[in-house]
Parts: sequence; structure tokens; C-alpha cells
Amino acid sequence: MGQVIVDVQNLFKRYGAITAVDRVSFQVDRGEIFGILGPNGAGKTTTLEMIEGLRVPDGGTAVVDGIDVRRDPRGVRARIGVQLQEAAFFDRLTVEETLQLFGSYQRTMVAPETVIDRLQLQDKRRSWVMNLSGGQRQRLSIAVALINDPRIVFLDEPTTGLDPQARRNLWEVIASFRGEGRTVVLTTHYMEEAQRLCDRVAIMDHGRIVALDTPRTLIRTHAPRTTVALTVLEGEVGYASLPGVRHVEVANGEVVLSSTDPMQTVYALMESSRAGQIGFHQLRVEDATLEDVFLHLTGRRLRE
Amino acid sequence: MKAFVTTIIMGFRHYFRDRSSVFWGIAFPLILMALIGLAFGRSDSLTFSVGFVDQGGGPLSQGLHSGLEEVPVFRVIDETDQAQALEALRKGRRTLVIVVPPITSGQPVQVFFDQARVQDSQTALVILERFVAEANLRLSGAPQVVRIHTTGLKGQRRLRFFDFLLPGILAMTVMQTGLLGVTYVVAGYRQRLILKRILATPVHPLVFLGGLVGRYALTNLVQIAIIVAVALTVFNATIVGNPLVVAGLMIYGTFVFVGIGFAISTISRTAESANLLGSAIHFPMMFLSGTFWPREFMPEFMQPVIGSLPLTPLIEAMRAVAARGDALGPYLPGLAYLGAWGAAAFALAASRFRWE
Ligand SMILES: Nc1ncnc2c1ncn2[C@@H]1O[C@H](COP(=O)(O)OP(=O)(O)OP(=O)(O)O)[C@@H](O)[C@H]1O
Ligand SMILES: [Mg+2]
Repeated sequence: MGQVIVDVQNLFKRYGAITAVDRVSFQVDRGEIFGILGPNGAGKTTTLEMIEGLRVPDGGTAVVDGIDVRRDPRGVRARIGVQLQEAAFFDRLTVEETLQLFGSYQRTMVAPETVIDRLQLQDKRRSWVMNLSGGQRQRLSIAVALINDPRIVFLDEPTTGLDPQARRNLWEVIASFRGEGRTVVLTTHYMEEAQRLCDRVAIMDHGRIVALDTPRTLIRTHAPRTTVALTVLEGEVGYASLPGVRHVEVANGEVVLSSTDPMQTVYALMESSRAGQIGFHQLRVEDATLEDVFLHLTGRRLRE
Repeated sequence: MKAFVTTIIMGFRHYFRDRSSVFWGIAFPLILMALIGLAFGRSDSLTFSVGFVDQGGGPLSQGLHSGLEEVPVFRVIDETDQAQALEALRKGRRTLVIVVPPITSGQPVQVFFDQARVQDSQTALVILERFVAEANLRLSGAPQVVRIHTTGLKGQRRLRFFDFLLPGILAMTVMQTGLLGVTYVVAGYRQRLILKRILATPVHPLVFLGGLVGRYALTNLVQIAIIVAVALTVFNATIVGNPLVVAGLMIYGTFVFVGIGFAISTISRTAESANLLGSAIHFPMMFLSGTFWPREFMPEFMQPVIGSLPLTPLIEAMRAVAARGDALGPYLPGLAYLGAWGAAAFALAASRFRWE
């Protein structure tokens, strides 16, 4: 574990009867990609924007790179790059002009071409923002967050609304920040994104962090079962009595086993097959996901 | 400084790339000017102002004066000093100046007119001559009791209807920028979270807002320059005053009405409602404040209301400087009143300003 660069203690925010953020605490290390995973309305944006100094917390503190955001919000903003979830840009400025304009609001600024190349917006350099596609606009939004060459980048649902290919491209871009020593704090409600991209993930629900760890540890701790699925051609065995199996589901010849010891379960299945008790194909072994972790922790799915 | 300048430059580009701002800011005022010019521009005025200088003409003078006052199209203005009256004639504020010499001198009554304003002065002279002939007949019938002697003067210029209209149109354009433009734009920026995006940078909010005001001053100046250029070439309008003073007045007006626009945008939730509220204030003011016709055309009981509108002093000062070449001095209290509106508007906007 490295040096703490974002330190959040007991952040609290109410909107009338709703507690949007309920005493949230966490720390992010320098160079880490830190994810906040949660469903709609979990409080992700509110948390992020309190750290960025865009909303005033009702309680708690956020310290970014040694600066208390309530004491010096503009000092914090000079050190961070911010991508907002749904803010628009000036319709009739080009990509390049937008970067120049927002760069002029920063204390330091990299050449617009650098971030244009980085986000693959070369073809759109002279296009008006109003003529960009949703994905291009999203990339521009991240380009703007990078214009001051920030040490810490806050991305609020950076890939929402993108097609799978564009999402994967963006993951590569974000992953490349790691090699530059930048710290990333992002929110998402895609479990795959959190799992693939983030070093550590905070799972958030109803304003609280219900779990926080590396994706691997979260899965091992909260969803230890692995799924073993097979398509049965002939025969049958007592699936429930196979080693490791905790749960059995059978539908249309497809058998889905939930196992705490997939190695032993698969081994036993192979034995039965060799003994001629059962014939099957398409044996698949799938690890649990953060979706399963969320389900386990909250009793609900991430995306209803 | 860089942030301020870049805000102005980018805002300027953004503004003129929008066809609707070009239409409302440039084409619309010109179209209005053409239409109103066509409708009302035939005669310079509906009444003739007649300056009357009495140098001791006794009963003749009194008879002439009361007689002239009965002519419906004459507005008789008593003058004490002949030189001053002639100066007013030269500047186009009088159609005729009548000087009645001392009764003992035996001199004829002198009538001065502006040669440049052929149409008006000839009409007025014809009316005057017919009136004098009638008066002579009534007085005795025999020798001419009242003799008149007419002298044409070279006036400075003709105050034509377009000269009158142009300053009003310019002031209206400035007001429109604030009440219809700023309201919609600023409330829209807030609604679409563009303001929040600015807040997410380390720039000082006042630098951005100042840049926004600066870009409105700049876009207004450009719009006004284009309107003036078209008005001078196509409509043959003239501006006699100092163009720098005119430009200064326009920038001053821009600040005030941008401030009012900001204030309106802070008390409205959406861009549409801000624009609607702005329009509700804009249109009555446009018609009442003497934009298109002299405020004296409005009924007497409306005058106090008209006098209290912020657009009125701007139009009056603009017209005085641009159309008549007057000094700004007498209009300073009105302009201070306008400034008070601006200060109040900025104070309200500052106290209620929200980023999202
Ligand atoms: N300005 C506000 N006024 C009132 N309620 C608010 C406001 N902002 C957020 N909330 C409420 O606070 C809760 C958390 O909202 P927040 O936007 O932080 O969620 P989120 O996790 O970012 O959701 P999403 O995935 O939809 O972006 C929600 O119930 C929301 O309705
Ligand atoms: Mg959100």
C-alpha cells in the first residue's frame, strides 16, 4: 500500500428526508484506480462531487493531496481533473476550442493535441460539439479532465451510454493512466468495468459503502461459490451430493451447479462420465462476479 | 487574464456561429427599422415647431402670437434670444423662427427657415403666408399691416426620421441582448450544467462571469457597428454626435441590461421561463420608451411610468448625442438612474446566483 492521496472521512449529505451519502469513509492510494460501484441513486455522484468541492457536505471531511476541500476548494480543483456525469459543453465550439477554453481556466495546461490524440478525437478536432456522437462527447469530457495534466482524475460513470467496443477502448485509456502515476477515482454501475479496471472497489448502496476491497478479495469473501455449468446429453448423477456443490439448478438439459470447490466438482463429474453414468458436453467453469457480491450483500441485483 | 480573454474570444465565436443570434441581434433591428421607416417616415414630424422672438412688437406681436397658436400644426415656442433661436433652427429643432422687431423700427417681421429642410419649411411657410394674408385682411384691408421678410439659413443638417429612429433601434438592440439573450443563455448554461463544469475548474467565478459580460459588450459593439453601417448606407441615416460617445453609451447600456438579464436568469428555473420573463419586460419597454416614436406621443398619464423605465434615459441620451449632436451633460442624471438599475440588478444576481 502506497501513500494516501484521497482521504475521505465520514462524509454525510442529506436532501430533505433522503440521506444521499451516509457517513462514507475511504482512502485512495497514489497511482491506484479506485472504483465506486453501485446502482442508480446509491450516492456515487454526491460522494464524488463533495470530494471535488462542488457540493458542500453536511458532515465529514475530504482531503485531496493534502488539501482540505472545504478550506481550499479551488486549490483542490487545480490538482484534479473532473469529468461530470451529465454536464453539457458549449454547442458551437469545436473540440479544440473547448479544450483551449477549459485549459485557460487551469493553472497549468497541456497542448490540446496531446489529449485529442490520447482520446482519439483527431478526426473531430474541428467539429462543433453539437455534432459529436454520444461516445465522442464522452471522450471529449475525459479529454477536458486531462487538460491540466492532473495527478488525480475523477470520472463519474465514464463509459455509461457507450457501446461495448467504445467502452473497451476507454478502459484501455483509463488503464494507461496507471503507468503515468495518475490516481483515478471512478464511479460505475457496470460490475465488469469495476472488476476489470479497478485495483480496489467500494460497493455502495443507499448512501453507504457496504464493502471495500480488491475485486478478487470481494468475490472470495462475499461470493465464494463458482458456477460449474454443463449440457447433459444422457444419464444422470446425484448432482447435490458431488463434492463442493451447494446448489443445483436444472433447466432444459442445462445443469448449473454452484460450488465452493470447483476443482473437486469438475473432477467428480469427469469420473462419472468415464464410468459411463453420464454424458455431457460444454462444461464451463465461471468465477463469481461483483454482481454476485452485490446480490449477496444487498439481496438485490445491480441493474434492476 | 488568459481565462478572461479566452472566455471573451470563445464566447464571441460561439455567439456569431448561431444564426438565430445574428438574426435577432442584427437582421431583426434592421427589419424593424425599415418597416417603421416605411410606415412613419414620410414626413419629418406631424407638427412644426415655430420659434417666436418678440423684440418689443407690442400689439402686433401679441396678435401674431395668439393667431399662430391657433394654427393647429404650429407649436409656438417663445424664445428670448434670436441667436439661440437660430441655433436651434440650424440644429433642426425648429422649423421656422419668427422675429418681430421693435414697433418703432418699421422693419418687417423676419421669418427664418432651414434651406436644407425644403419640404418642411416650404409647407410651414405656405401656411404662415396664408395666415399673414388673412390677418392683414382682417386688420384693415388696405396697406399691408404685417409685412414679412423670409430668409433661408443653411442648417446643419436635416433631422430625418431615420436619424431619429436609429438611436432608438440601437438602444433597443442593447436592451434585447440583456433581456432576451442573457436570460436565456445564462439560465440555459445553468440548466445544462455548463456553469457547474466551469465551477469544477480552479478559475475564479468572477473571471468567467466578467468574461461573459465582456463578450456581450463586444458582440453588442459589433452588432451596433453593422446596424449603423447599414442604416447610414441603405437608409441614409446620419449620426452627428461623437461616435465614441455613442459607443460608450452603448457599452454602458450593455452593462446595465446584461445585469438585468443576469438577475432575471437567477430568479427563473429554466431557460424558457427566464426568456419569457425577459420578454415580458422587454416588449412593453420597447414600445413605451420612445424607441420608435417620441415618448410625447404617448398619453399624458403614461409619462411618469415611461420616465421611470430604465430604457428611457438611454434612448434620450442616445438620441441627443447621435441625432442632434447635443452635449451629454443634461442627460447625466438620467444615465445615473439607469446605472442604479444596473447596480441593483447585479446585486440581486450576486445574492441569488446559483451554479446548478
Ligand atoms: N440536488 C439534489 N436534490 C435532491 N436530492 C438529490 C440531489 N442530488 C442527489 N439527490 C438524491 O440523492 C441520492 C443519491 O444521488 P446520486 O446522484 O449521488 O446517486 P448516483 O449513485 O450517482 O446515481 P446514478 O447512478 O443514477 O448517477 C438519490 O436518491 C438522489 O435522488
Ligand atoms: Mg451519478
